[in-house]
Formats: sequence, structure tokens, C-alpha cells
Amino acid sequence: MSTGIVTTDLRKTFPVRRWQGWRRRPAAAPVAAVDGLSLRIPPGQVTGLLGLNGAGKTTTIRILSTLLRPTGGTVSVDGLDVVEHAREVRRRINVISGGERMVYDRLTARENLWYFGQLYDVPRARLRARIDELLDLVGLTEAAQVPVERFSRGMRQRLVIARGLINDPAYLLLDEPTLGLDAPIAHQLRALIAQLAADGVGVLLTSHYLAEVEQLCRHVYLIARGSLVAQGSPAQLAGQTVRRHTVRLVLAVADPAVTAVLRALAERHGAELTVDVDDEGRPRFTLRHPQDLVGAVVTAVVQAGGAVAGLTVTPPTLEDAILTLTDAQAVAVR
Amino acid sequence: MSHALRVVAAEALKQHRRLFGQPLVLFSMLLWPLLTLAATYYTVLPVMESAVAPQRWPVAGDPRRLLSFLAAGALAYTFFFSLVQSAWHFSFERVSGTLEALFLSPASRMALVIGNGAAALTQNAWLFGCFAVAAATAADVLHVAHPGMYAVAALALLVPAVAWGAFLNSMLIFSRDSAFLYTLLDDPLWFVAGVRLPLFALPVWVKAVGLAFPLTSSLVVLRGALLDRADLGDLAAPLGWLAALTVGLFAAASALLRLGEARAQRTGGLQVF
Repeated sequence: MSTGIVTTDLRKTFPVRRWQGWRRRPAAAPVAAVDGLSLRIPPGQVTGLLGLNGAGKTTTIRILSTLLRPTGGTVSVDGLDVVEHAREVRRRINVISGGERMVYDRLTARENLWYFGQLYDVPRARLRARIDELLDLVGLTEAAQVPVERFSRGMRQRLVIARGLINDPAYLLLDEPTLGLDAPIAHQLRALIAQLAADGVGVLLTSHYLAEVEQLCRHVYLIARGSLVAQGSPAQLAGQTVRRHTVRLVLAVADPAVTAVLRALAERHGAELTVDVDDEGRPRFTLRHPQDLVGAVVTAVVQAGGAVAGLTVTPPTLEDAILTLTDAQAVAVR
Repeated sequence: MSHALRVVAAEALKQHRRLFGQPLVLFSMLLWPLLTLAATYYTVLPVMESAVAPQRWPVAGDPRRLLSFLAAGALAYTFFFSLVQSAWHFSFERVSGTLEALFLSPASRMALVIGNGAAALTQNAWLFGCFAVAAATAADVLHVAHPGMYAVAALALLVPAVAWGAFLNSMLIFSRDSAFLYTLLDDPLWFVAGVRLPLFALPVWVKAVGLAFPLTSSLVVLRGALLDRADLGDLAAPLGWLAALTVGLFAAASALLRLGEARAQRTGGLQVF
């Protein structure tokens, strides 16, 4: 039964040894990379795992993929414990990481996929067709017989993606999969991830490209220092921050009455207001407030007889949420 | 079981494709042991031509027998040292990041290291093996008790060599600093195993150390079965010891693989996504 990947109070500490003279000795305390993390990655959707560098994202992925053993807590994949049933878990998952590793340079694309197909015990009768499908999917059919050492960076990464799909995994763990890819290829990959999720694959995605996360993920976990800081949809996370909506309004001509109305409105709402001129010398008003004041601003300007030449509204972004929430956690730790 | 066999075959083919770009490279696999054999022969020949040597070791008095003795040593050494090289090559999997890809898969780890060793054997030793057998037949230096002893000699060379390879490969799961193994097992291997000298000529402590290496007993069986007309009864002791060593090496390899993977899971030592 597909119950997803579930972690409960997951913990991972690494023993640290430091050189003292000619000997390496254990440091006083092990380093906690993951600290009490509880997540759920359901089948059929893309789940995001976000955090700054060193937050514990890659360690979490390595635990879920059985490469690391948790120090505490539990991880199950469709009800199978990753420690006790590691081999069965490995059949159901795969990992794709950015950075073009995990394929053999002197082998051709087809040979690489054939080799990994054998390791994953893909049925012989199915393997050839599966390789053809994947080469076609990642656009490497023409280069199937070319050694990987002659591939461009993007081609190698596409082969890494095909390798990650060779066993038709029920769950796919993506660690910065579009790192270093050209925009069109990254776009194709995002479409592929969305399609995989639509086909029922459970996907966990870590990425530094937040637009990618906002586009693909239905649910996002935000972690810092190995702990969960916040979770929700990208919009919910963005809404949890105290960062402000920014309303930027340009008047066609300067009008003291309109300026006075906007100052009064800002004061009434406690909004931050700055007044300057744009490149064409027109008066520009910038209001920042936790709420979106665009309706009130436009109404006030029109009622005061002003003519609006330009209007932009910038809502708080997921990036704002990450920075704010991880900053808050850092302060709390201090 | 069928999955394990698929993994062995796939790993062997992969290693072959990784290490052999041009067919010409194959001939270096003939040239290298031939040069080693020639260098050894012409190094020991002046010593053997002295009047004293044949008194202690009759083989020394007959250049043809001496050459066949050394050729058997070179053949067996080629088998075993190719496994040392294969372990060294396997260590590059860790550096290049592909070791993690192997450990992500459900493939048997033992099948992987056996496949790696099997690839090294077939690609490094087959050519010289064929040459040695053909040359020995042409020179009429093969003296076997019965044809079944050819199979005994082949198995005594192949099976322990694969166990040796599995053992060495499994040790490299622990550390990427594997170059020391390459150095440590090069010259000492031929010295303690009696590759170029008869075992009785070696000091007792060297013979004791040599017993720990399967190459030593493999060579005793190979030379006895193919050159000295020895039968199973004559070779029972070295064959028994070889079997025990082989089982021990496979068991140690299996334990090391489990311990190494558990250690990597604890420390994150397989590095690095």
C-alpha cells in the first residue's frame, strides 16, 4: 500500500574527530545534522524541503535513501522501515542530485542505463524498452552511443536524471536537480517532475531556485539547523512572514493634495512611506505594510483627483519567508 | 540468485568498458607479464648456472624447467596482482562519486566486488594464461598425473584469486586512502609467495607470512599439478589449506562489506552528493 515516506522525530548526529598532534580524537560532542524532523512525502505530489546551506536537507535525503542510518527516530517507506528493510526500500526509491556525478564517463549513455538497470534488477524483457523510453524522455536518443565524457554538462545531468528513473521508482528524491542547467533544460525537467507526480510518483525536492519550488510543490517543509521551522503551501509559508507587501505608485504629475492623502493613509495604517521620483522625474510613492494596501491607495489617489501613471505590487515571496523564518530560528537559538 | 549473477556480469562488463578503450591495451596484458618473466629469468640464470645451485635445487640445472617454474609463478602472480589492481581501480568509484550510486541500489555488495574481481581476471590474465599454456605445451614441459589435474590447477588458481579480489575490494569500502595497499602488496606478494624462488629457499618467517597469502598455496598446486605430475593425494595438504583460506577470505569480505557499509551509514563516509 502506498502510504508515502514518513519520518518521525528523525535525528542524525555525526561523530566528529579532530586532529590533535598526530592522532585524531573524538570531539566532545557529536554534531547534530538533523534534529527531531517529522515529515510526510505522500505519493502523487511534489513536496519541497527548503533551508539554507547546512540546514540538513542533503543529510535528510541520504537517510531517506538508506545511505545514512538515523541516530534516532524512524523512517518508513510505504510502511517499510528503512533500516530493517533497506533492500526493499532501495527498490522503491531513487535519488537524483545535481552536479553530474553518478554516471561513468567512459561508458555510453545506453551502457550506463543498462548497467544501472541490471543493478536494479529491471526485468530483461523490459530493460531495453525502458532505456529507449528514458533516452527519449531526456532527449538523448541521438547521443545514446556516445561516451559520456564527450557530453556537455546539461547532457550529463540529463543522463543522471534518466539513471534516477531506471527502476521506475515510487519515490524520487531530488537534491538540487536543476543545478547548473540551462533554462530550457531546467524548464523541461520541471515539466517532467510535474508529470511524474501526476503519474503517482512521490517526489521530494530540494532546490535553491525558489521559483521552481513555488511552481512545483504543493507542500513545503522549511528546516534550519536540522529542525522543522515551518510548513505549508508556498503561499501559506510566504504569508507566515512579517515581511511586507510593497505598493509602488507613480503619479502622472506632482499633486500636493494627493501627497497629503497618501501620507495620511500611511500614518493611519502604520505603513512605511517613502517619496522620490522615477527616471522620468515623476513623483513615486512606495508603501510597505504587512497587508496589501493597493486597493486603499488607488481609491485614495483617485478620490483626491490624482492620475496614476504606474502601479506595481510586490507580495512577500517564499525567499522572504525562508530568510525571515530561518533568521528567527537563529535568533531563538542564540 | 539470478539478480546476483546479473550484477556480477554487469559489473564485470562495466569495469572492462571503463578500463579498456582500445583493443591494443589488451596486448599490454601479455607484454607486461612476459617482460616480468624475461627479467626474472635472466636475473636468476647467472646464479643458477653456478655449480652449487643444482645440487640444492635440481630445477636450477635445467634452463627449460627453470623457465617453466618461473612462468608458472608469473602466471599465478598475474592473476593475483590483477586483483590488487582491480581493488585499486574500485577505489576510484568512491572518488568519482559513483560508489554512492552503487550503494543506493538493491544490488548485492558481494556480487559487485566479485564482478569487479572477475573483470580484472578475465581482462588481465586470459591472454597471458593462454600464451603460457600454449608455450608450455609446445615446449613439452607439462607433466600431469591425469587430465583432471588441469581442472584442479585452474580452479586452484581462479577461485582463491576471486576470493582474494573480493577481500581486497571490501577493504576499500573503509577508506579512500587505498594507494598504500597497491604498494604493500606488489613486491612483497611475489617475494613471500615463492613466485621467483622455491619456497624451501626462503627463511622460515617469510614462509610463515607467505602461508597467509592464497597465492603461495595456489602456486604449490599449480606447479605440482602441471609440472611435477602430482595427483590429488600429493596435493591434499596445500589444497585443504587453500580451501580454508578461500572460505576465510569470502567470509572476511562479507563481514567487511557489512561493517564498512554500516560504518559509512554512521559517519557519512561514502561522500558526497
